[in-house]
Amino acid sequence: MAGIDMISGISPQMPRPSGPGAAQGAGEGASFDQTLKGAMDKADAQQQQSTQALQDVLTGTSGDVLPVVSAMAKADMSFKLLIGVRNKIIDAYKQTMNMQV
Amino acid sequence: MGITRVAAPIDIAVSGLRAQSAKLNVIGNNIANADTTHGPDGKPYRRQSIVLATGEGQQGVRVQQTVADNTAFPRVYEPGNPDADKDGYVETPNVQMPVEMMHMLQASKAYEANTAVLKRYLDAMDVTAELLK
Repeated sequence: MAGIDMISGISPQMPRPSGPGAAQGAGEGASFDQTLKGAMDKADAQQQQSTQALQDVLTGTSGDVLPVVSAMAKADMSFKLLIGVRNKIIDAYKQTMNMQV
Repeated sequence: MGITRVAAPIDIAVSGLRAQSAKLNVIGNNIANADTTHGPDGKPYRRQSIVLATGEGQQGVRVQQTVADNTAFPRVYEPGNPDADKDGYVETPNVQMPVEMMHMLQASKAYEANTAVLKRYLDAMDVTAELLK
């Protein structure tokens, strides 16, 4: 699914905090915030698609209710997976930040 | 199967819903026209049914075509009808109500079965997402 294929871009390495003070690895895939933002954007696009489908039916633009069923099921599924993955990413970030050096 | 095909079962179940509702549509039309002796071509209504085919890439189902039932029209004695022939017989649609009822039951049960698949798959994905917690 388009909504969560960004997640596959997450490398199994430790997430790197970005920002002015953070050291950026040279060309090692997307940065931490880009990965998170990309996944959220994709899931958000599906949410908006399902809202649009619902609106089309309610306003009479479309007479077919099945696209709403399909768009909502996909949006719901990718959102739940996103939440799960986000929790994991945030956990990893926190653990990294709390590491004693 | 790549992660991009996570949505495939949803698409398949929805294609099933679409096919079964097309069937219900045609059955409804058959029932509504069960007594129509004068169609657009002047002939009685001819019973229709739906032929289903596998969807693209062997995934899901699609409506291939609507076919007409070519069995003979039953003749009924009804001299007052403007469509009656010189002997007073009228050709009536080849729709048999019990057959339509049976097909309707079948189609609505199949529709339910597809919604059950969709629901179970979403439940399964919920359980999978739980693993990430």
